[in-house]
Amino acid sequence: MLLLVCAPIFLYLLVPTLIVVPMAFTPGALLKFPPGGMSLRPFRALLGDPAWVDAAIVSLKAAAVAVGLGGVVATLAALGLHSAKFAGRGVVQGALMVPIVAPLIVLALADYQFLATVRLTGTWLGIGLAHSVLAVPYVFITLQASLAGLDPALLRSARGLGAGHWSVFRHVYLPALRPGLLAGALFAFAASFDEAVIALFLQGPAATTLPVKIFTDIQYDLTPKIAAVAALLVGLATLVFVVQTAVLLRRRSQPRATTAG
Amino acid sequence: MPHDDTRDGPTVASAPHPTGRDLEVVSVSKSYGGPDVVQDLAFTLGHGEFLTLLGPSGSGKTTTLLMVAGFERPTTGDIRVGGRSVVNEPPQRRNFGIVFQSYALFPHMTVLENVEFPLRMRGVAKRARGAPALEMLEKVGLSGFQNRKPRELSGGQQQRVALARALVFEPDALLLDEPLGALDKRLREAMQIEIKAIQQRVGISVLYVTHDQEEAMVMSDRIAIMREGRIVQLGAPKDLYKHPETPFVASFLGETNLLPCGVVEDGAYGKVTFADGSSGVAARPRRDPGDGGGPWLVSVRPEQVRVLTPEDRLDTTIDGVVKDCTFVGSYVRVTILACGQEVVVKGDETISAWAETGRRVRVGWRRDDAQILRAD
Amino acid sequence: MRDGSSRELAARMALLAPFFLLYGVLLVWPLGSMVRQSLTDAAAPYAQVVRNPMFRLAVTNTLVISALTTLCALVLGYLCAAAIWKSAGVARVVVLALVLLPFWTGVLVKNFAWAVLLHDHGVVNSLLQDLGLIRQPLPLLHNRFAVIVGMVHFVLPYAVFPILAAMTAIDDRLERAAASLGASRLNTSRLVVLPLTLPGVYAAALLVFIVSTGFFITPVLLGGPKDMMVANLVEYYARQLVDFPAASAVAVLIVAGVSVLVACYERLPKEGQFGKL
Repeated sequence: MLLLVCAPIFLYLLVPTLIVVPMAFTPGALLKFPPGGMSLRPFRALLGDPAWVDAAIVSLKAAAVAVGLGGVVATLAALGLHSAKFAGRGVVQGALMVPIVAPLIVLALADYQFLATVRLTGTWLGIGLAHSVLAVPYVFITLQASLAGLDPALLRSARGLGAGHWSVFRHVYLPALRPGLLAGALFAFAASFDEAVIALFLQGPAATTLPVKIFTDIQYDLTPKIAAVAALLVGLATLVFVVQTAVLLRRRSQPRATTAG
Repeated sequence: MPHDDTRDGPTVASAPHPTGRDLEVVSVSKSYGGPDVVQDLAFTLGHGEFLTLLGPSGSGKTTTLLMVAGFERPTTGDIRVGGRSVVNEPPQRRNFGIVFQSYALFPHMTVLENVEFPLRMRGVAKRARGAPALEMLEKVGLSGFQNRKPRELSGGQQQRVALARALVFEPDALLLDEPLGALDKRLREAMQIEIKAIQQRVGISVLYVTHDQEEAMVMSDRIAIMREGRIVQLGAPKDLYKHPETPFVASFLGETNLLPCGVVEDGAYGKVTFADGSSGVAARPRRDPGDGGGPWLVSVRPEQVRVLTPEDRLDTTIDGVVKDCTFVGSYVRVTILACGQEVVVKGDETISAWAETGRRVRVGWRRDDAQILRAD
Repeated sequence: MRDGSSRELAARMALLAPFFLLYGVLLVWPLGSMVRQSLTDAAAPYAQVVRNPMFRLAVTNTLVISALTTLCALVLGYLCAAAIWKSAGVARVVVLALVLLPFWTGVLVKNFAWAVLLHDHGVVNSLLQDLGLIRQPLPLLHNRFAVIVGMVHFVLPYAVFPILAAMTAIDDRLERAAASLGASRLNTSRLVVLPLTLPGVYAAALLVFIVSTGFFITPVLLGGPKDMMVANLVEYYARQLVDFPAASAVAVLIVAGVSVLVACYERLPKEGQFGKL
């Protein structure tokens, strides 16, 4: 009975995600519903349009910087805070979370003003750097969860057997971190790839990300190409989601392994 | 079919419950799509009676309770209250008070609000709810606690609030699902006495589920021993203890020696021979187990095995050798090798005099104290 | 890590150094500069922006839209959470997927989809016209309605999870106990489940409200000129008027406002299953 009442709500959640897919196959030059036919024209137009292809490349490059830099920083921080007891550890942890809590517009304005002084506005690198700050909390949270399952006895026995820092990292921490790293990287990638406000402020002729281009084109140049790009993004999101669910289900049916190797 | 023995134990003088009606479980079976979890169950909970479903985990006792309560539906069979079938009614309408192991007190309500809850559900006006609730709290020994929240109470106190809540609306029966499992030993024993006292004071019928045989023995008027979904034997505690009908019942209630033997017919008593050639006498089962074949064994409790002086005459005398002797505190436990296996003997301190390892002894029992059972 | 030596602390600090560096350079410093920008001319920008009638409009809009969004999201979110809580096995996985999947599509895709759905010649209007229910297309886009629809759609998962967490924390025997005591399903929900899920509802309300106040894209793409929110005001000053001190002032005021909201929330009495939170 409850499911019946909720069915409209679930439709509300699902339909917008799905509706872009049939729209992407519009044969005509204008977006209308029903599309009136099936054609791959929008996709061909999309892939043949250098502005769109460039936008995708900029998004990917920025996301790569964000995930790479943010991921490394977050991993080191997670290791540094693991089982820490020093005074102020709560403050450090709280500070780590700030980018998630702060309004994007505030970050966007601050980043713009700062990066302008080092002439990194209008570059994919600038966007990547700004996004890397966003990425850190996502990766940190997932890594912290992974490390929480790490048996401290493992660390003690490794140390007791004479393992140095690097060995301990390779053989004890890394295996425990691996699942969290992948999940965190995915979250961070999505956070950067889909981010629009900071990217809007930091955009330039050679540094327009995909979301920013969608934003501008919806207002000034509404064509089926947008539906095509939206459909592709939905496809990508679904793929990532399906993979993540599959991994989760598989891991749930296997015994948890926190031993090295 | 389990045989319902007549009551054989201390009858309790309890106040007859004003609205109590008999609960009948009739040929109830339950399966979840596979083999039966409960098979062909039948018993009657009489007016004011304390009946316990006793068995190991997986024996189906909790499932039975849930079916009586209405949270599970029997696959076949019927459940009747006062002659009327209730098997199709939801739990809300069955008028039973239930106490769960986790007490399930509403954490956001005070003790008084918890106890008033069933009255509220029955449409009793706000001003009329207070008095019966407070009275019930007094009966369970918690006067003065009405404004506390459950988290401020100890486990035993929460247990009593749960009881008060389940009794305040004068249900037809009280159903308790291992309510004392979460308490430590001393508190458990105190609560056993408490619950029994409350039950007698209020005069309500109780269906109790537990795996603790001592608990069942202490509290129950009758016990239904369950195994793998069936009632194996049903009767008063003393009766089950003295006259078990299967080795499972004999070893589940207290401790017993199970001695494989061969049997020769002899009326109410049989002559039995053991693996080492020795022989004795034991009571034959009161109910004919049906088809005649064995294998058989004799069940005799350690405290019924007596050490014999040369002058003693008992129905059964066996020669044996002492293996070891342990001082347990309130009794002494001796293991002797006899009848081709280890036999445990329990007695007071005087036994330790002769219980040196390797010493030869003669032990025996009265024929009424040993039962011939078919091995299961 | 072995306990308590200063060598251990040094090692930890070394591991945290990149974090301090990154956040210092790309977060703390830029934010500090922004605050400094807003204080030029003895904080004149603050007076300037506050006096502008657009400020009042943006703040009012933000509060009203966020409040409406929060209300809708709580109601819908509660129902969704209950549906997930009460389902098991395959159904539960499916229902959870339905709530989680929108997380992975970006805000632009969502807004584009809503534009397609609510447009005069979009899906909803075409459907209604085909069914003969309306003659002329309804104005569903570029107004307050569309903004709320779009925002609720975005924040719904944020509402569901705290509420779901509170629900799953409820001892499952409580509902059975209530039923055994004579409570109908409605009474059980009203008197037992709802009070115990309130902490989750409060947490969801705060989260959703704060997320709502920061919206930027949705008011632009789905709203009209009268639906401007505070984030849009910042962009207006920064990118259209190129008045960075003013933009910074608005940004600082936004942070201050959100902080006040959080502080107020912390002071509210919140009773839960385990006492005052």
